[in-house]
Amino acid sequence: MYNVLVVDDDKEIVGAIEIYLKKEGYNILKAYNGNQALKIVQENEIHLLILDIMMPEKDGIETLEEIRENKSIPVILLSAKSEDYDKIGGLNSGADDYITKPFNPLELIARVNSNLRRYVSLGSLENKNNSKIYQTGELVINDETKIATVDGKKVKLTATEFNILKFLLENKGKVYSIPEIYENVWREEGFGAENIIAVHIRHIREKIEINPKEPKYLKVIWGVGYKIENIN
Amino acid sequence: MFTNIKSNNYQEVKDNMNNQNIYWNFVNGKIETNLTYINEDNIKYNYAYRNSSYGSNHLQKVKEFGDYDIYSSYEEDKTAQATNFLFNKNMYDFMLQHKQLPIYSCLMSLVLLVIIAIYLFWAIGYKQDEEGISLNAMDQIPYEIISMICFSFLAIALSIITNFFDMYHYVVVTLYMIAYLIGYIACALWGVTTIKRIKAKTFWKSFLSYKIIRWFYHKTKKCISEIDRKTSSSKKVFWYYWGFVVISIVLASMIGTGISLILLGVFWLWVFYRLRKYNRQQDEIKEALQKIYEGKTDIYLDNQELEGILKEMAVYINDIAGGFSNAIEESLKSERLKTELITNVSHDIKTPLTSIINYVDLLKKEEIPNEKIKEYIEILDKKSYRLKKLTEDLVEASKVSSGNVKLNIEEINLKELIHQSIGEFKDRLEEKNLKIEASMPEEEIKIKADNRYMYRVIENLFSNVTKYALDGSRVYIDMKREKGKTEISIKNISKDKLNISSDELMQRFVRGDKSRYTEGSGLGLSIAKSLTELQGGEFTIHIDGDLFKVVMKW
Repeated sequence: MYNVLVVDDDKEIVGAIEIYLKKEGYNILKAYNGNQALKIVQENEIHLLILDIMMPEKDGIETLEEIRENKSIPVILLSAKSEDYDKIGGLNSGADDYITKPFNPLELIARVNSNLRRYVSLGSLENKNNSKIYQTGELVINDETKIATVDGKKVKLTATEFNILKFLLENKGKVYSIPEIYENVWREEGFGAENIIAVHIRHIREKIEINPKEPKYLKVIWGVGYKIENIN
Repeated sequence: MFTNIKSNNYQEVKDNMNNQNIYWNFVNGKIETNLTYINEDNIKYNYAYRNSSYGSNHLQKVKEFGDYDIYSSYEEDKTAQATNFLFNKNMYDFMLQHKQLPIYSCLMSLVLLVIIAIYLFWAIGYKQDEEGISLNAMDQIPYEIISMICFSFLAIALSIITNFFDMYHYVVVTLYMIAYLIGYIACALWGVTTIKRIKAKTFWKSFLSYKIIRWFYHKTKKCISEIDRKTSSSKKVFWYYWGFVVISIVLASMIGTGISLILLGVFWLWVFYRLRKYNRQQDEIKEALQKIYEGKTDIYLDNQELEGILKEMAVYINDIAGGFSNAIEESLKSERLKTELITNVSHDIKTPLTSIINYVDLLKKEEIPNEKIKEYIEILDKKSYRLKKLTEDLVEASKVSSGNVKLNIEEINLKELIHQSIGEFKDRLEEKNLKIEASMPEEEIKIKADNRYMYRVIENLFSNVTKYALDGSRVYIDMKREKGKTEISIKNISKDKLNISSDELMQRFVRGDKSRYTEGSGLGLSIAKSLTELQGGEFTIHIDGDLFKVVMKW
């Protein structure tokens, strides 16, 4: 049983999150401002923190920075501020993830699971030496068993999707345009198949990403191509 | 016969003289003497007095007394005691021997003079514990006056020295000394002050005439500019014109003198140069005005070089441009404030909205036997999501229309972008049975844009297509490149009647009639247009019956 601390000055939001996460089997602790949160973090063993930014007295960023002075628990920021610079600022202050309000409950749950899994089972990766295994972050594919997993969960991919993902993962960090992907995966020049590749990639994204619109692994560089982010 | 002996007998006199202790004679061009230390030349070139035919004595060299014989004698040998003569003679011989000595000492003095002068030039004017050249009261006196005073003293000294040149009296010698001293001091002072002035770079400025000329120059300039200011430009042109004519005529009438031909040429060239300069300045002002007319307000005319009416014009233009750019800045500022306000309000809306969405979602998951309640919840769910989308679009629209976005412009492949976008929308298009007909050129089409915002534009347009295109119709995407311009158009048939102008359609919150009651915020087209324009493109909408067409150009 993992302890999750939810901090938000809006009690209803804390209540809703509590309901969702309790269903997932987490033990929920609640705080309504930064100071309460700090106190609970000091007194209890907390495995994950969901933290609102805009709060009276002590805001989320200040709270986060104080927690980071001696704790490395995963912290997910939850804020109505949705600008890029808000997200960048939050992540740079030490947050592990950033979710904007209003949020999709399923996404919140997925992100909580993902962050916890990484925190708890950090460094316990198996078969790292196997040459048939390709990996970035928590995305792993095994070319022998043709199995892809994200955060340890199996993802169902079609053969084409698997091949495209394998190609991009083999060359992680590099950007490939649609024709390049076609030539490398099918080993022939593709005419008129551009849209099909784009659709496949969207499907892969929908399967492996928590939020396909803000992908973590399979990034779309609009007007250039696609790439798998190289995450250690 | 001339003699100082009292006798009239020639022979008696001659004998008398030859019987004396010392004698020397000049007889028939030959010297006879009992003096051992005198040779012929000594005597030949001596002087003797001669009673000339003019009635007065005058000096003549002995050798020239060819027609006379000279007998001279002394009772006793006084020459032996005449040390003065001997001394002079020895001195003379010595001098003759060492005549190169003064030349060498002269040269050495000259070298010393140069060295000392250089040293003085280098060292003069500096005082201990003081920066730069220190000038005293004397250095403030106008240069002409100080020069005059110094040279006057020098002239007095020189006149004393030259006038009493051959007098050897102790008074005179003392006077000499004083004169030399005065001359030396005058020269030294003059030299020092000259060097100091040159070093302090006040040499020309310390001329009285410089000050006078400058004073006159400023007065005249002031006077002219006063007249210039008071005269209207049409009157000025009148005067300039007649001035030109009169000067030309005067110069031309003296054409015979040659120099006036050159002067006339120079004058005409000068007038031409002035006219050219005036024209160029006029052009500059015209260009500035044109820029303001075109909306560029970041101009500043340097009016230092301009004169008269052009200068005034430049000042006015600078003021106008400044006023415009201030106004633009003000409006940008208020636009930014508006964006900030909308962003802040949207934060306040999003917080309660989060609870609404979450609790509606929770409600949906409850077991509800009543079908009606389920239906109501469905409506709440849809509308709360629409509210979410609306707030997001509102923030984006206000940001984009106020230009409050950071663009990351790079080269992007438009064909790739369209393929990617079609891939993203494939399922939704297929849901509505919409078929994409894309015609794109073979070669790569590249434009400079921000890839994320470019996708936002295409996303909004495709999203519009999926929402408002007639089910089962075809959507045409055409891309072409002509004369260096890239054009991309998206055409579809609207399912609802488009009884609205393209301008109105583009306005925020305005949508094709009934569609207001369905999905979306109505901001999509407005955002797409603003984003396209921010990235340097053109965005136009054409409506022809039910045909809806968006054209973008780069």
